Amino acid sequence: MTKEQTLSYGVCKSTEDDNMIKVEGLTFQYDMKEEPVLNQISVDIEAGAYVGVIGSNGCGKTTFVRHLDGLLLPTTGDVWVEGMNTKDPDVVQKIRQMVGMVFQNPENQIVGMSVEEDVSFGPGNLRLLPSEIKKRVEESLELVGMKKYAKRPPHTLSNGEKQLVAIAGVLAMAPKHIVLDEPTAYLDPSGQERILDVINRLNKQGITIIHVTHDMDEVARADEIFVMNEGRIVLKEKPAEVFLRVEWLKELGLGIPKVTELMWQLRNMGRHVRTNVFTLEDACVELGNLLRN
Amino acid sequence: MHIGQYIPGESIIHRLDPRVKIGSVVVLSILILKGEMLTAATISAFLVALVPVSQIAFYHMARALRPMLFFFVFLFLLHLLFTDGTPIPPFPSWRVTVTYEGLFRGAMTTWQFILLILSASILTMTTSPTELVSGIEKLLRPLKALRIPSHDIAIMISIALRFVPTFLEEIDRIKEAQMARGANFKTGPVIRRVKSAVSLLVPLVLCSLRRADELATAMEARGYRRGSRTYMRELSMVRADYVAVVVMVLMTGLHFFQTHF
Repeated sequence: MTKEQTLSYGVCKSTEDDNMIKVEGLTFQYDMKEEPVLNQISVDIEAGAYVGVIGSNGCGKTTFVRHLDGLLLPTTGDVWVEGMNTKDPDVVQKIRQMVGMVFQNPENQIVGMSVEEDVSFGPGNLRLLPSEIKKRVEESLELVGMKKYAKRPPHTLSNGEKQLVAIAGVLAMAPKHIVLDEPTAYLDPSGQERILDVINRLNKQGITIIHVTHDMDEVARADEIFVMNEGRIVLKEKPAEVFLRVEWLKELGLGIPKVTELMWQLRNMGRHVRTNVFTLEDACVELGNLLRN
Repeated sequence: MHIGQYIPGESIIHRLDPRVKIGSVVVLSILILKGEMLTAATISAFLVALVPVSQIAFYHMARALRPMLFFFVFLFLLHLLFTDGTPIPPFPSWRVTVTYEGLFRGAMTTWQFILLILSASILTMTTSPTELVSGIEKLLRPLKALRIPSHDIAIMISIALRFVPTFLEEIDRIKEAQMARGANFKTGPVIRRVKSAVSLLVPLVLCSLRRADELATAMEARGYRRGSRTYMRELSMVRADYVAVVVMVLMTGLHFFQTHF
Protein backbone atom coordinates (compact mmCIF):
# COMPACT_ATOMS: atom_id res chain seq x y z
CA MET A 1 0.00 0.00 0.00
CA THR A 2 1.36 3.41 -0.91
CA LYS A 3 1.85 6.18 1.57
CA GLU A 4 -0.70 8.37 -0.14
CA GLN A 5 -3.42 5.75 0.31
CA THR A 6 -2.61 5.38 3.96
CA LEU A 7 -3.03 9.11 4.36
CA SER A 8 -6.31 9.24 2.53
CA TYR A 9 -8.27 7.31 5.14
CA GLY A 10 -6.69 9.22 7.94
CA VAL A 11 -8.35 12.31 6.54
CA CYS A 12 -11.81 12.90 7.95
CA LYS A 13 -14.34 12.92 5.18
CA SER A 14 -17.20 15.39 5.13
CA THR A 15 -19.86 14.81 7.76
CA GLU A 16 -22.61 13.73 5.40
CA ASP A 17 -20.65 10.54 4.67
CA ASP A 18 -20.53 9.69 8.32
CA ASN A 19 -23.51 7.39 8.46
CA MET A 20 -23.43 5.80 5.10
CA ILE A 21 -21.67 3.09 3.24
CA LYS A 22 -19.94 4.59 0.24
CA VAL A 23 -18.55 2.52 -2.60
CA GLU A 24 -16.31 4.38 -5.03
CA GLY A 25 -15.09 2.88 -8.29
CA LEU A 26 -14.88 -0.62 -6.83
CA THR A 27 -13.21 -3.08 -9.17
CA PHE A 28 -12.25 -6.55 -8.05
CA GLN A 29 -10.23 -9.23 -9.79
CA TYR A 30 -9.15 -12.58 -8.37
CA ASP A 31 -6.58 -12.81 -11.12
CA MET A 32 -5.15 -9.93 -13.13
CA LYS A 33 -5.28 -11.99 -16.31
CA GLU A 34 -8.99 -12.63 -16.00
CA GLU A 35 -12.01 -10.41 -16.44
CA PRO A 36 -12.83 -8.41 -13.31
CA VAL A 37 -15.54 -9.97 -11.13
CA LEU A 38 -16.69 -6.49 -10.16
CA ASN A 39 -16.34 -3.61 -12.55
CA GLN A 40 -16.36 0.06 -11.50
CA ILE A 41 -19.13 -0.08 -8.94
CA SER A 42 -20.03 3.23 -7.30
CA VAL A 43 -23.01 3.44 -4.96
CA ASP A 44 -24.04 5.09 -1.72
CA ILE A 45 -26.09 3.21 0.82
CA GLU A 46 -27.88 5.52 3.25
CA ALA A 47 -28.00 4.57 6.90
CA GLY A 48 -31.31 2.96 7.78
CA ALA A 49 -32.20 2.10 4.19
CA TYR A 50 -33.45 -1.28 3.00
CA VAL A 51 -31.53 -2.19 -0.13
CA GLY A 52 -32.20 -5.28 -2.19
CA VAL A 53 -29.38 -6.63 -4.35
CA ILE A 54 -30.60 -8.84 -7.16
CA GLY A 55 -28.95 -10.52 -10.10
CA SER A 56 -28.60 -13.94 -11.67
CA ASN A 57 -26.07 -16.51 -10.40
CA GLY A 58 -22.45 -15.54 -10.86
CA CYS A 59 -23.14 -11.84 -11.45
CA GLY A 60 -20.94 -10.85 -8.50
CA LYS A 61 -23.58 -10.19 -5.80
CA THR A 62 -21.74 -12.14 -3.12
CA THR A 63 -18.37 -10.72 -4.11
CA PHE A 64 -19.84 -7.23 -3.94
CA VAL A 65 -21.35 -7.53 -0.48
CA ARG A 66 -18.23 -9.18 0.91
CA HIS A 67 -16.46 -5.89 0.24
CA LEU A 68 -18.81 -4.05 2.57
CA ASP A 69 -17.17 -5.34 5.75
CA GLY A 70 -13.66 -5.82 4.44
CA LEU A 71 -13.82 -9.61 3.94
CA LEU A 72 -12.60 -8.80 0.44
CA LEU A 73 -10.60 -5.72 -0.44
CA PRO A 74 -11.00 -3.79 -3.71
CA THR A 75 -8.37 -4.29 -6.40
CA THR A 76 -8.97 -0.65 -7.26
CA GLY A 77 -11.41 1.81 -5.75
CA ASP A 78 -12.51 2.20 -2.16
CA VAL A 79 -15.25 1.16 0.21
CA TRP A 80 -16.01 3.56 3.05
CA VAL A 81 -18.10 2.59 6.03
CA GLU A 82 -19.09 5.69 7.96
CA GLY A 83 -15.96 7.43 6.83
CA MET A 84 -13.64 4.46 7.48
CA ASN A 85 -11.83 2.75 4.63
CA THR A 86 -12.02 -1.05 4.63
CA LYS A 87 -8.41 -1.12 3.46
CA ASP A 88 -7.24 0.32 6.77
CA PRO A 89 -6.23 -2.65 8.97
CA ASP A 90 -6.62 -0.50 12.10
CA VAL A 91 -10.35 0.02 11.62
CA VAL A 92 -11.32 -3.30 10.08
CA GLN A 93 -12.45 -4.70 13.44
CA LYS A 94 -14.60 -1.62 14.01
CA ILE A 95 -16.08 -2.01 10.52
CA ARG A 96 -16.90 -5.67 11.16
CA GLN A 97 -18.64 -4.67 14.37
CA MET A 98 -20.70 -2.06 12.49
CA VAL A 99 -21.50 -4.17 9.43
CA GLY A 100 -22.95 -7.55 10.38
CA MET A 101 -22.94 -10.35 7.83
CA VAL A 102 -25.39 -13.25 7.58
CA PHE A 103 -24.49 -15.97 5.11
CA GLN A 104 -26.42 -18.34 2.91
CA ASN A 105 -25.71 -21.66 4.59
CA PRO A 106 -27.01 -21.62 8.16
CA GLU A 107 -24.95 -24.67 9.14
CA ASN A 108 -21.59 -23.24 8.21
CA GLN A 109 -21.74 -20.05 10.22
CA ILE A 110 -22.48 -21.47 13.64
CA VAL A 111 -19.39 -21.88 15.76
CA GLY A 112 -20.67 -22.56 19.26
CA MET A 113 -21.66 -25.83 20.89
CA SER A 114 -24.84 -24.21 22.13
CA VAL A 115 -27.06 -21.41 20.83
CA GLU A 116 -26.05 -18.91 23.50
CA GLU A 117 -22.38 -19.76 23.16
CA ASP A 118 -22.60 -19.11 19.44
CA VAL A 119 -24.32 -15.76 19.92
CA SER A 120 -21.60 -14.81 22.42
CA PHE A 121 -18.87 -15.46 19.85
CA GLY A 122 -18.98 -12.01 18.20
CA PRO A 123 -19.11 -9.93 21.40
CA GLY A 124 -16.36 -12.14 22.81
CA ASN A 125 -14.20 -11.25 19.82
CA LEU A 126 -14.90 -7.59 20.61
CA ARG A 127 -13.53 -8.31 24.10
CA LEU A 128 -16.59 -7.09 25.95
CA LEU A 129 -17.09 -7.78 29.64
CA PRO A 130 -18.87 -11.04 30.55
CA SER A 131 -21.84 -9.18 32.04
CA GLU A 132 -22.27 -7.13 28.84
CA ILE A 133 -21.96 -10.24 26.66
CA LYS A 134 -24.62 -12.00 28.72
CA LYS A 135 -26.96 -9.03 28.38
CA ARG A 136 -26.48 -8.81 24.63
CA VAL A 137 -26.92 -12.56 24.12
CA GLU A 138 -30.22 -12.50 25.99
CA GLU A 139 -31.51 -9.42 24.21
CA SER A 140 -30.62 -10.54 20.72
CA LEU A 141 -32.04 -14.04 21.22
CA GLU A 142 -35.21 -12.41 22.54
CA LEU A 143 -35.40 -10.16 19.48
CA VAL A 144 -35.31 -13.07 17.03
CA GLY A 145 -37.61 -15.15 19.23
CA MET A 146 -35.06 -17.84 20.05
CA LYS A 147 -34.60 -17.22 23.76
CA LYS A 148 -36.01 -20.52 24.89
CA TYR A 149 -33.48 -22.34 22.71
CA ALA A 150 -30.48 -20.72 24.42
CA LYS A 151 -29.03 -23.95 25.81
CA ARG A 152 -29.77 -26.14 22.78
CA PRO A 153 -26.94 -27.59 20.69
CA PRO A 154 -27.16 -26.23 17.13
CA HIS A 155 -27.68 -29.60 15.43
CA THR A 156 -31.08 -29.93 17.07
CA LEU A 157 -32.38 -26.79 15.32
CA SER A 158 -34.09 -26.48 11.94
CA ASN A 159 -32.37 -24.50 9.20
CA GLY A 160 -34.71 -21.56 9.80
CA GLU A 161 -33.89 -21.57 13.50
CA LYS A 162 -30.17 -21.79 12.77
CA GLN A 163 -30.46 -18.76 10.50
CA LEU A 164 -32.28 -16.86 13.29
CA VAL A 165 -29.40 -17.77 15.62
CA ALA A 166 -26.96 -16.47 13.02
CA ILE A 167 -28.88 -13.17 12.91
CA ALA A 168 -28.85 -13.02 16.72
CA GLY A 169 -25.10 -13.62 16.62
CA VAL A 170 -24.72 -10.59 14.37
CA LEU A 171 -27.12 -8.46 16.46
CA ALA A 172 -25.10 -9.17 19.59
CA MET A 173 -22.29 -7.15 18.04
CA ALA A 174 -24.63 -4.10 17.91
CA PRO A 175 -24.27 -3.46 14.18
CA LYS A 176 -25.72 -0.44 12.37
CA HIS A 177 -25.85 -2.21 9.03
CA ILE A 178 -26.62 -5.86 8.30
CA VAL A 179 -25.78 -7.63 5.07
CA LEU A 180 -27.77 -10.79 4.37
CA ASP A 181 -26.44 -12.91 1.53
CA GLU A 182 -29.34 -15.05 0.30
CA PRO A 183 -30.41 -15.78 3.86
CA THR A 184 -33.44 -17.85 2.89
CA ALA A 185 -31.87 -20.08 0.24
CA TYR A 186 -31.78 -23.16 2.49
CA LEU A 187 -35.07 -22.55 4.28
CA ASP A 188 -38.60 -23.88 4.03
CA PRO A 189 -41.45 -21.36 3.55
CA SER A 190 -42.16 -20.95 7.26
CA GLY A 191 -38.45 -20.41 7.98
CA GLN A 192 -38.32 -17.90 5.14
CA GLU A 193 -41.26 -16.01 6.56
CA ARG A 194 -39.71 -15.78 10.03
CA ILE A 195 -36.45 -14.44 8.60
CA LEU A 196 -38.21 -11.84 6.44
CA ASP A 197 -40.26 -10.76 9.43
CA VAL A 198 -37.13 -10.28 11.55
CA ILE A 199 -35.42 -8.38 8.71
CA ASN A 200 -38.37 -5.98 8.45
CA ARG A 201 -38.42 -5.44 12.20
CA LEU A 202 -34.72 -4.70 12.32
CA ASN A 203 -35.05 -2.22 9.47
CA LYS A 204 -37.88 -0.44 11.32
CA GLN A 205 -35.51 -0.07 14.27
CA GLY A 206 -33.18 1.88 12.04
CA ILE A 207 -30.70 -0.82 11.02
CA THR A 208 -29.58 -0.64 7.40
CA ILE A 209 -30.46 -3.85 5.56
CA ILE A 210 -28.59 -5.00 2.48
CA HIS A 211 -30.46 -8.05 1.29
CA VAL A 212 -29.04 -10.19 -1.52
CA THR A 213 -31.52 -12.54 -3.14
CA HIS A 214 -32.86 -13.81 -6.40
CA ASP A 215 -36.38 -14.06 -5.09
CA MET A 216 -38.10 -10.89 -6.28
CA ASP A 217 -40.92 -11.27 -3.76
CA GLU A 218 -38.42 -10.89 -0.93
CA VAL A 219 -37.22 -7.44 -1.94
CA ALA A 220 -40.59 -5.98 -2.94
CA ARG A 221 -40.55 -4.04 0.35
CA ALA A 222 -37.05 -2.64 -0.15
CA ASP A 223 -36.48 1.14 -0.45
CA GLU A 224 -34.11 0.63 -3.32
CA ILE A 225 -32.99 -2.24 -5.51
CA PHE A 226 -29.57 -2.70 -7.05
CA VAL A 227 -29.76 -4.86 -10.15
CA MET A 228 -26.42 -6.49 -10.90
CA ASN A 229 -25.23 -8.02 -14.14
CA GLU A 230 -21.74 -9.19 -15.09
CA GLY A 231 -20.00 -7.42 -12.25
CA ARG A 232 -21.78 -4.09 -12.62
CA ILE A 233 -24.72 -2.44 -10.97
CA VAL A 234 -26.86 -1.83 -14.03
CA LEU A 235 -29.86 -0.27 -12.29
CA LYS A 236 -30.49 1.48 -8.98
CA GLU A 237 -34.18 2.22 -8.54
CA LYS A 238 -37.19 1.86 -6.31
CA PRO A 239 -38.88 -1.57 -6.64
CA ALA A 240 -41.80 0.06 -8.51
CA GLU A 241 -39.43 1.29 -11.24
CA VAL A 242 -37.44 -1.92 -11.41
CA PHE A 243 -40.42 -4.23 -11.74
CA LEU A 244 -41.86 -2.19 -14.63
CA ARG A 245 -39.05 -3.49 -16.83
CA VAL A 246 -40.41 -6.99 -17.13
CA GLU A 247 -38.79 -7.92 -20.45
CA TRP A 248 -35.42 -6.48 -19.50
CA LEU A 249 -35.39 -8.37 -16.21
CA LYS A 250 -36.18 -11.58 -18.07
CA GLU A 251 -33.23 -10.98 -20.37
CA LEU A 252 -31.02 -10.76 -17.28
CA GLY A 253 -32.38 -14.10 -16.11
CA LEU A 254 -34.50 -12.46 -13.43
CA GLY A 255 -38.23 -12.40 -12.84
CA ILE A 256 -40.71 -10.12 -11.16
CA PRO A 257 -42.77 -10.77 -8.02
CA LYS A 258 -45.45 -13.38 -8.67
CA VAL A 259 -48.30 -11.01 -7.85
CA THR A 260 -46.90 -8.43 -10.31
CA GLU A 261 -46.74 -11.13 -12.95
CA LEU A 262 -50.38 -11.95 -12.22
CA MET A 263 -51.33 -8.28 -12.72
CA TRP A 264 -49.52 -8.18 -16.06
CA GLN A 265 -51.36 -11.31 -17.18
CA LEU A 266 -54.69 -9.74 -16.22
CA ARG A 267 -53.73 -6.55 -18.03
CA ASN A 268 -52.85 -8.57 -21.14
CA MET A 269 -56.26 -10.19 -20.93
CA GLY A 270 -57.77 -6.74 -21.19
CA ARG A 271 -58.57 -6.14 -17.53
CA HIS A 272 -58.04 -2.72 -16.04
CA VAL A 273 -55.62 -3.37 -13.16
CA ARG A 274 -52.58 -1.56 -11.90
CA THR A 275 -49.34 -3.40 -12.65
CA ASN A 276 -47.29 -1.64 -9.97
CA VAL A 277 -48.42 -4.17 -7.37
CA PHE A 278 -45.62 -6.01 -5.61
CA THR A 279 -46.96 -7.36 -2.35
CA LEU A 280 -49.72 -9.80 -1.57
CA GLU A 281 -51.62 -7.16 0.44
CA ASP A 282 -51.67 -4.71 -2.50
CA ALA A 283 -52.70 -7.49 -4.84
CA CYS A 284 -55.65 -8.36 -2.61
CA VAL A 285 -56.83 -4.76 -2.68
CA GLU A 286 -56.44 -4.56 -6.46
CA LEU A 287 -58.24 -7.84 -7.09
CA GLY A 288 -60.98 -6.76 -4.71
CA ASN A 289 -61.50 -3.63 -6.80
CA LEU A 290 -61.53 -5.67 -9.99
CA LEU A 291 -64.20 -8.01 -8.65
CA ARG A 292 -66.34 -5.14 -7.44
CA ASN A 293 -66.30 -3.47 -10.87
CA MET B 1 -21.98 -42.54 21.05
CA HIS B 2 -22.47 -42.98 24.76
CA ILE B 3 -18.90 -42.90 25.99
CA GLY B 4 -18.80 -40.18 28.57
CA GLN B 5 -21.71 -38.28 27.09
CA TYR B 6 -22.81 -35.29 29.16
CA ILE B 7 -25.83 -35.98 31.36
CA PRO B 8 -27.33 -32.64 32.45
CA GLY B 9 -27.93 -32.34 36.16
CA GLU B 10 -27.73 -30.07 39.17
CA SER B 11 -25.55 -32.13 41.50
CA ILE B 12 -22.67 -30.62 43.43
CA ILE B 13 -20.27 -32.37 41.04
CA HIS B 14 -22.05 -30.83 38.05
CA ARG B 15 -21.62 -27.37 39.54
CA LEU B 16 -17.93 -27.68 40.37
CA ASP B 17 -15.56 -25.44 38.47
CA PRO B 18 -14.47 -27.35 35.34
CA ARG B 19 -10.85 -26.46 36.06
CA VAL B 20 -11.10 -28.21 39.41
CA LYS B 21 -12.70 -31.25 37.81
CA ILE B 22 -10.10 -31.49 35.05
CA GLY B 23 -7.30 -31.00 37.59
CA SER B 24 -8.79 -33.70 39.82
CA VAL B 25 -8.95 -36.19 36.96
CA VAL B 26 -5.30 -35.48 36.16
CA VAL B 27 -4.30 -35.98 39.82
CA LEU B 28 -6.38 -39.14 40.13
CA SER B 29 -4.95 -40.54 36.90
CA ILE B 30 -1.40 -40.04 38.14
CA LEU B 31 -2.25 -41.65 41.46
CA ILE B 32 -3.98 -44.56 39.73
CA LEU B 33 -1.02 -45.23 37.46
CA LYS B 34 1.62 -44.75 40.14
CA GLY B 35 -0.15 -46.48 42.98
CA GLU B 36 -0.38 -50.13 43.94
CA MET B 37 -3.24 -52.13 45.33
CA LEU B 38 -3.93 -50.00 48.35
CA THR B 39 -4.14 -46.78 46.34
CA ALA B 40 -6.32 -48.45 43.73
CA ALA B 41 -8.63 -49.68 46.46
CA THR B 42 -8.86 -46.23 48.02
CA ILE B 43 -9.60 -44.58 44.69
CA SER B 44 -12.16 -47.26 43.84
CA ALA B 45 -13.98 -46.54 47.07
CA PHE B 46 -13.75 -42.82 46.37
CA LEU B 47 -15.16 -43.13 42.83
CA VAL B 48 -17.93 -45.48 43.89
CA ALA B 49 -18.92 -42.94 46.54
CA LEU B 50 -18.75 -40.14 43.96
CA VAL B 51 -21.19 -41.75 41.52
CA PRO B 52 -24.31 -41.29 43.69
CA VAL B 53 -23.13 -37.81 44.72
CA SER B 54 -22.98 -36.81 41.04
CA GLN B 55 -26.47 -38.27 40.53
CA ILE B 56 -25.35 -40.52 37.71
CA ALA B 57 -26.96 -43.93 37.48
CA PHE B 58 -24.54 -46.84 37.82
CA TYR B 59 -25.73 -48.28 34.52
CA HIS B 60 -24.48 -45.14 32.75
CA MET B 61 -21.07 -45.93 34.22
CA ALA B 62 -21.32 -49.52 33.08
CA ARG B 63 -22.24 -48.31 29.62
CA ALA B 64 -19.12 -46.14 29.54
CA LEU B 65 -16.99 -49.21 30.25
CA ARG B 66 -18.68 -51.58 27.82
CA PRO B 67 -17.00 -50.45 24.60
CA MET B 68 -13.65 -51.01 26.32
CA LEU B 69 -14.41 -54.62 27.32
CA PHE B 70 -12.33 -56.12 24.53
CA PHE B 71 -9.40 -53.92 25.46
CA PHE B 72 -9.63 -54.98 29.12
CA VAL B 73 -9.65 -58.69 28.22
CA PHE B 74 -6.71 -58.19 25.87
CA LEU B 75 -4.76 -56.29 28.52
CA PHE B 76 -5.45 -58.96 31.11
CA LEU B 77 -4.40 -61.84 28.85
CA LEU B 78 -1.26 -60.02 27.76
CA HIS B 79 -0.05 -59.75 31.33
CA LEU B 80 -1.30 -63.20 32.27
CA LEU B 81 0.61 -64.95 29.50
CA PHE B 82 3.80 -62.94 29.27
CA THR B 83 4.86 -62.33 32.86
CA ASP B 84 7.72 -64.40 34.29
CA GLY B 85 7.50 -65.87 37.78
CA THR B 86 6.15 -68.80 39.71
CA PRO B 87 3.98 -70.99 37.49
CA ILE B 88 0.50 -71.80 38.65
CA PRO B 89 0.41 -75.66 39.07
CA PRO B 90 -2.37 -76.83 36.76
CA PHE B 91 -1.13 -74.92 33.76
CA PRO B 92 2.57 -75.82 33.10
CA SER B 93 1.61 -78.68 30.81
CA TRP B 94 0.34 -76.20 28.26
CA ARG B 95 2.60 -74.43 25.80
CA VAL B 96 2.22 -71.19 27.70
CA THR B 97 3.06 -70.70 31.31
CA VAL B 98 0.66 -68.85 33.50
CA THR B 99 2.24 -67.38 36.60
CA TYR B 100 0.96 -66.02 39.87
CA GLU B 101 2.71 -62.76 39.07
CA GLY B 102 1.00 -62.65 35.68
CA LEU B 103 -2.37 -63.17 37.23
CA PHE B 104 -1.73 -60.40 39.72
CA ARG B 105 -0.29 -57.93 37.17
CA GLY B 106 -3.07 -58.60 34.70
CA ALA B 107 -5.76 -58.02 37.28
CA MET B 108 -4.00 -54.94 38.63
CA THR B 109 -3.46 -53.28 35.23
CA THR B 110 -7.01 -53.94 34.14
CA TRP B 111 -8.27 -52.52 37.40
CA GLN B 112 -6.15 -49.40 36.89
CA PHE B 113 -7.54 -48.84 33.40
CA ILE B 114 -11.10 -49.32 34.59
CA LEU B 115 -10.45 -46.66 37.24
CA LEU B 116 -8.95 -44.28 34.67
CA ILE B 117 -12.00 -44.57 32.46
CA LEU B 118 -14.41 -44.25 35.37
CA SER B 119 -12.81 -41.06 36.64
CA ALA B 120 -12.71 -39.52 33.16
CA SER B 121 -16.34 -40.54 32.61
CA ILE B 122 -17.46 -38.84 35.81
CA LEU B 123 -15.80 -35.68 34.46
CA THR B 124 -17.38 -35.77 31.02
CA MET B 125 -20.79 -36.92 32.27
CA THR B 126 -21.07 -34.04 34.72
CA THR B 127 -19.47 -31.29 32.63
CA SER B 128 -21.04 -29.82 29.49
CA PRO B 129 -18.71 -29.58 26.48
CA THR B 130 -18.89 -25.79 26.71
CA GLU B 131 -17.64 -25.82 30.30
CA LEU B 132 -15.05 -28.44 29.50
CA VAL B 133 -13.61 -26.33 26.72
CA SER B 134 -13.60 -23.16 28.80
CA GLY B 135 -11.88 -25.12 31.60
CA ILE B 136 -9.20 -26.36 29.23
CA GLU B 137 -8.78 -22.85 27.85
CA LYS B 138 -8.24 -21.35 31.29
CA LEU B 139 -5.88 -24.10 32.39
CA LEU B 140 -3.78 -23.56 29.27
CA ARG B 141 -3.71 -19.78 29.70
CA PRO B 142 -0.47 -19.70 31.72
CA LEU B 143 1.19 -21.48 28.79
CA LYS B 144 0.84 -18.30 26.76
CA ALA B 145 4.39 -17.53 27.88
CA LEU B 146 5.43 -20.55 25.80
CA ARG B 147 3.43 -19.12 22.88
CA ILE B 148 0.75 -21.76 23.19
CA PRO B 149 -2.46 -20.04 21.97
CA SER B 150 -5.01 -21.27 24.51
CA HIS B 151 -7.88 -19.31 22.87
CA ASP B 152 -7.28 -20.82 19.49
CA ILE B 153 -6.99 -24.32 20.95
CA ALA B 154 -10.29 -23.82 22.79
CA ILE B 155 -12.00 -22.64 19.60
CA MET B 156 -10.57 -25.60 17.68
CA ILE B 157 -11.86 -28.13 20.20
CA SER B 158 -15.23 -26.46 20.39
CA ILE B 159 -15.67 -26.38 16.59
CA ALA B 160 -14.58 -30.00 16.31
CA LEU B 161 -17.19 -31.06 18.89
CA ARG B 162 -19.88 -28.84 17.37
CA PHE B 163 -19.45 -30.40 13.93
CA VAL B 164 -19.48 -34.07 14.99
CA PRO B 165 -23.28 -34.41 14.56
CA THR B 166 -23.10 -32.47 11.29
CA PHE B 167 -20.56 -34.92 9.91
CA LEU B 168 -22.57 -37.93 11.01
CA GLU B 169 -25.55 -36.51 9.12
CA GLU B 170 -23.35 -35.80 6.14
CA ILE B 171 -22.06 -39.39 6.05
CA ASP B 172 -25.64 -40.66 6.06
CA ARG B 173 -26.53 -38.33 3.22
CA ILE B 174 -23.56 -39.34 1.09
CA LYS B 175 -24.27 -42.99 1.82
CA GLU B 176 -27.88 -42.63 0.75
CA ALA B 177 -26.87 -40.80 -2.42
CA GLN B 178 -24.50 -43.63 -3.32
CA MET B 179 -27.00 -46.32 -2.39
CA ALA B 180 -29.53 -44.64 -4.66
CA ARG B 181 -27.06 -45.22 -7.46
CA GLY B 182 -26.60 -48.88 -6.58
CA ALA B 183 -23.78 -48.89 -4.04
CA ASN B 184 -23.94 -51.66 -1.47
CA PHE B 185 -22.54 -51.06 2.01
CA LYS B 186 -24.20 -53.88 3.89
CA THR B 187 -23.47 -57.18 2.15
CA GLY B 188 -20.73 -58.77 0.08
CA PRO B 189 -17.11 -59.62 0.82
CA VAL B 190 -15.31 -57.56 3.45
CA ILE B 191 -12.83 -56.12 0.94
CA ARG B 192 -15.63 -54.72 -1.17
CA ARG B 193 -17.36 -53.22 1.83
CA VAL B 194 -14.11 -51.57 2.93
CA LYS B 195 -13.68 -50.19 -0.58
CA SER B 196 -17.18 -48.75 -0.61
CA ALA B 197 -16.46 -47.14 2.76
CA VAL B 198 -13.44 -45.45 1.18
CA SER B 199 -15.74 -44.06 -1.50
CA LEU B 200 -17.58 -42.24 1.28
CA LEU B 201 -14.38 -40.64 2.45
CA VAL B 202 -13.57 -38.60 -0.63
CA PRO B 203 -16.87 -36.68 -0.81
CA LEU B 204 -16.83 -36.28 2.97
CA VAL B 205 -13.39 -34.67 2.91
CA LEU B 206 -14.38 -32.41 0.02
CA CYS B 207 -17.54 -31.29 1.82
CA SER B 208 -15.57 -30.67 5.00
CA LEU B 209 -13.06 -28.48 3.21
CA ARG B 210 -15.85 -26.38 1.76
CA ARG B 211 -17.48 -26.13 5.16
CA ALA B 212 -14.19 -25.11 6.76
CA ASP B 213 -13.75 -22.38 4.18
CA GLU B 214 -17.25 -20.97 4.71
CA LEU B 215 -16.94 -21.22 8.47
CA ALA B 216 -13.62 -19.36 8.43
CA THR B 217 -15.20 -16.56 6.40
CA ALA B 218 -18.15 -16.37 8.80
CA MET B 219 -15.80 -16.27 11.80
CA GLU B 220 -13.75 -13.52 10.25
CA ALA B 221 -16.92 -11.53 9.56
CA ARG B 222 -17.80 -11.82 13.24
CA GLY B 223 -14.51 -10.27 14.24
CA TYR B 224 -12.51 -13.39 15.04
CA ARG B 225 -8.78 -12.87 15.05
CA ARG B 226 -5.85 -14.43 16.79
CA GLY B 227 -5.13 -13.38 20.29
CA SER B 228 -7.23 -12.92 23.35
CA ARG B 229 -10.98 -12.71 23.53
CA THR B 230 -13.52 -12.65 26.32
CA TYR B 231 -16.23 -15.11 27.27
CA MET B 232 -19.80 -14.88 28.44
CA ARG B 233 -19.02 -17.00 31.48
CA GLU B 234 -15.95 -16.28 33.52
CA LEU B 235 -15.14 -19.11 35.88
CA SER B 236 -14.91 -18.44 39.57
CA MET B 237 -14.04 -20.79 42.40
CA VAL B 238 -16.56 -21.14 45.22
CA ARG B 239 -16.33 -23.02 48.51
CA ALA B 240 -17.22 -26.40 47.04
CA ASP B 241 -14.33 -26.02 44.60
CA TYR B 242 -11.82 -25.38 47.39
CA VAL B 243 -13.21 -28.37 49.26
CA ALA B 244 -12.64 -30.48 46.13
CA VAL B 245 -9.05 -29.21 45.89
CA VAL B 246 -8.48 -30.13 49.55
CA VAL B 247 -9.92 -33.60 48.93
CA MET B 248 -7.46 -34.08 46.07
CA VAL B 249 -4.55 -32.96 48.25
CA LEU B 250 -5.69 -35.41 50.93
CA MET B 251 -5.90 -38.23 48.38
CA THR B 252 -2.35 -37.48 47.26
CA GLY B 253 -1.17 -37.34 50.88
CA LEU B 254 -2.86 -40.65 51.60
CA HIS B 255 -1.12 -42.19 48.60
CA PHE B 256 2.29 -41.07 49.88
CA PHE B 257 1.46 -42.32 53.35
CA GLN B 258 0.40 -45.70 51.99
CA THR B 259 3.48 -46.15 49.81
CA HIS B 260 6.11 -44.87 52.20
CA PHE B 261 5.03 -46.13 55.60
